[in-house]
Amino acid sequence: MELGGLFANLSLGLSVAMTVQNLFWCLMGAVIGTAVGVLPGVGPTATMALLLPATYFLPPEGALIMLAGIYYGSQYGGSTTAILVNLPGEASSVVTTLDGHQMALQGRAGPALAIAAIGSFFAGTVATLAIAMAAPPLTKLAQQFAPADYFSLMALGLVFAVVLARGSALKAFGMIFLGMLLGLVGTDVNTGNTRFTFDISDLFDGLGFVPLVMGIFGIAEIMHNLADPQRRDLATAKISGLFPTMADIKRSIAPILRGTALGGLLGILPGGGAVLASFSAYTVEKKLSATPEKFGTGMIEGVAAPESANNAAAQTSFIPMLTLGIPSNAVMAMMIGGMMIHGIIPGPQVMEQRPGLFWGMIVSMWLGNLMLVVLNLPLIGIWVRMLLVPYRLLAIAILFFCCIGVYSLNNSANEVLIIALFGVIGYLLMKLDCEPAPLLLGFLLGPMMEVYMRRAMLLSRGDPWVFLQRPLSLTFLAIAVLLMVFILLPNIRRARETAFQE
Amino acid sequence: MRIKSGQDFAAGLLFIAVGVAAFWIGADYPMGTPQRPGTGVLPRILAWCLIGTGALLWLKALLVEGPNLTRWAWRPVIMISLATVAFALLVDRLGLVVAMLVSMTLAALGTPQTRWLEYAVFTLVMVAIGVGMFVYGLRMPIPIWPKDLPGALSWN
Amino acid sequence: MRRRVFLGLAGATLAMGFSTHALAQTEAWPQRTVKLLLPYAPGGATDAIGRPWADKLSQAFGQQFVVENRGGASGMIGTEAAAKSAPDGYTFLLTPNAPLAVLPSLRKTPYDPVKSFDAVGRVGDVINGFVIHPSVGVKTFNEMVEYAKKNPGKLTYGSSGNGTSTHLRLEMLKYKTGIDILHIPYRGGADTLNDVLPGTVHMMNEPVSLAHAKAGKLILLNVNAQVRHPDFPDVPTLTELGITGADVPIWFSIFAPAGTPKDIIAKLNAKMIEIAKTDDMKAKMIAVNAVVPLQSPEDMAKHLLADIKANAELIKAANITIE
Repeated sequence: MELGGLFANLSLGLSVAMTVQNLFWCLMGAVIGTAVGVLPGVGPTATMALLLPATYFLPPEGALIMLAGIYYGSQYGGSTTAILVNLPGEASSVVTTLDGHQMALQGRAGPALAIAAIGSFFAGTVATLAIAMAAPPLTKLAQQFAPADYFSLMALGLVFAVVLARGSALKAFGMIFLGMLLGLVGTDVNTGNTRFTFDISDLFDGLGFVPLVMGIFGIAEIMHNLADPQRRDLATAKISGLFPTMADIKRSIAPILRGTALGGLLGILPGGGAVLASFSAYTVEKKLSATPEKFGTGMIEGVAAPESANNAAAQTSFIPMLTLGIPSNAVMAMMIGGMMIHGIIPGPQVMEQRPGLFWGMIVSMWLGNLMLVVLNLPLIGIWVRMLLVPYRLLAIAILFFCCIGVYSLNNSANEVLIIALFGVIGYLLMKLDCEPAPLLLGFLLGPMMEVYMRRAMLLSRGDPWVFLQRPLSLTFLAIAVLLMVFILLPNIRRARETAFQE
Repeated sequence: MRIKSGQDFAAGLLFIAVGVAAFWIGADYPMGTPQRPGTGVLPRILAWCLIGTGALLWLKALLVEGPNLTRWAWRPVIMISLATVAFALLVDRLGLVVAMLVSMTLAALGTPQTRWLEYAVFTLVMVAIGVGMFVYGLRMPIPIWPKDLPGALSWN
Repeated sequence: MRRRVFLGLAGATLAMGFSTHALAQTEAWPQRTVKLLLPYAPGGATDAIGRPWADKLSQAFGQQFVVENRGGASGMIGTEAAAKSAPDGYTFLLTPNAPLAVLPSLRKTPYDPVKSFDAVGRVGDVINGFVIHPSVGVKTFNEMVEYAKKNPGKLTYGSSGNGTSTHLRLEMLKYKTGIDILHIPYRGGADTLNDVLPGTVHMMNEPVSLAHAKAGKLILLNVNAQVRHPDFPDVPTLTELGITGADVPIWFSIFAPAGTPKDIIAKLNAKMIEIAKTDDMKAKMIAVNAVVPLQSPEDMAKHLLADIKANAELIKAANITIE
């Protein structure tokens, strides 16, 4: 797109986004989104569903701007709980807990939160520009992906999950398999059969991600910490500075750039690329680092890259929705719902028929990011102070928020029972030194992999070679295999040494 | 043969147990054809993978020194579980306030260092925040008091 | 004796009082917020059709008609919740026909489609049809059938899931024309569209595809309805193409839990018909590819029975199972 055309479009967008009304809705969305993201369990989907009827009375631009604000606002907020209390608010913040929370325990919650916000803002800016300049070609790129390619990408993602693990690779594998098995609970999309549901209709759609996370991360963590709250209080009592040091910033630049690029590209895939964004970025940083073994103990690159990646992916996931009317996830589906309420049929004509809406939304996305950074940075001081609350009280508060967050998702008390169950299971896993992150990734990726594999096999009429024939698929699988070899070699060598010693 | 790592042994046991259970529950799921893999294919593959991983962990537990199992903190585990279950069972029937009070008290009972006066003040504040934020602020259809059920929504 | 007369009079007065009270209740209905349960996750086709109706009903009655999404299990969870709700006229089910007319023939449902609900009124019938990707090279329905006959099993069709209405439409097409098309199940219309737009899969039959047909990216071959779609005047209906009784309609409607007072149902139905006749509602519905037939609750109940029967026969004939 030539610069002249781009300017014209952006100024149109600016004129729409900068009206007092739309700025107000943008701010509202950002604030609500942040609050929602910080509250564990309550996610953007539930909030948007609640506010959708209210937006009926707003003009379409205002409504969509606010809904969008809620979405990426929640990405900002989700990292806050991940860092402070090891409780990821969203799938995308799971990876942030790995190093982010460790940093908090070392008194460096401030820098972690700050870098997360700054990285997210940078990523949001770049992604908005990408949308403005290259939405149609990026969409075409996304359309090159066939089911076989998605399968191989997810397989690569699973290998990433092993790389993520800090400790024993064997246990990481076990956790991935366990997670995949949990992901299979529910109805099999391809046939309509139910698996592992024991005829409980609440389980027909599978275990919810949020209850699982709340249980394994939230409740289990509370149980573990309550055994000795003093120890936890001591750890978080020392706060060394709210701002990142120059060294922090220097170390974060490259991860932020890499994370943005990776997340931005993965976000355009409607078939579920955004999920992979944060932990692919983390894995890349770990592999590129001179000190990979320190990942998981509070490396700031482990916060900068995933946070940038997931914000970039959140923004670019608007592309398939805006250009084709295809939602990449539940949130986009909600946005489409919002459009339809206002009589706007999402699809290819939106860009031509309502350019004001289209470009207005894009510009306001950037404005929203700006507002969020301005909002969140000063809040860091408050968040960090929260850590000083004695754990015996903080734990009760976290417990309550987990319960009500999960309950509010579907107005279902049964889901709260699930978090109790997974709390105990999570505690057991902690005792066995099995990390939860690979389990969650297996949970997310396993079912998707299965769906894509079967679809690919159907389309290829049963020919398994299709995975190696498509160039994209082949590339991903090749990288996966190489990575596996790199992971397993040192382990096998060590095992042989030990065996020889006996 | 001595178990050199209690932790690894227990982890292996967990994986094998889950793998066997998954295999057994999923034994009847249709397998389909290689062309159209059926419902039971992936569960069975995963069951085998889990059993295999568990077996390898057992091997490791017998060969390599590692940490043993640490004590299980029964009181927090039981009380927190009860607190969560209590919330789930009470919130629909007796409203948010009762559910919160009961569940938070159970949690406090599970905390070894609860100071009861501090707890009382804290709880009241939390209940106020909870009701204010979720029911009035976010307008979620959660019943507040027992007499509100069923049907009527609290803010109408 | 006097006491008995007195008691008798008192009893009669009380009884009258109660019945006028009850009458007054239904006269005054609705007196507080009415809940419309939608058994699907927010943002889908049911929302697109249901929410404008909720809005109009709120305006018409002066009381809030609130949409509550209760998605899951292909509509079973929300439908079950509605079936178990109190039949006091303050909870209704707004749903496509699938959970009631299709699902019970495929699996055991925790409700009875006929006994658990009382029909209230029609909300909208979706008009859409089979679309095909231009890369296949066919431009009309008959060309597509010819192509499929010459190349059995080559064409692929994406549905929104095994046992959904869109799956049934494919089976009906295959059954009536004898052609062989490969069925690929997806998770909803948007998921299908994702693979149909680049041509990875050739055909689909979902409302979401119509916007793309209008933009020329996909070709609409026919409409599964009694009337042609106003935006596509050249596209014939199945009946015009000579294929009768093959519609597998997707229709949205409101049901009440069984036992809801008849006058409340009648009142709601009358208002719905009134709204359906307005130009504003007609325009809103066409925008989401729907038309609203005007039907009384009794006729609607008969329509449901006929639909259940037709679907059950198709399921049996085409051997559709949730394996």
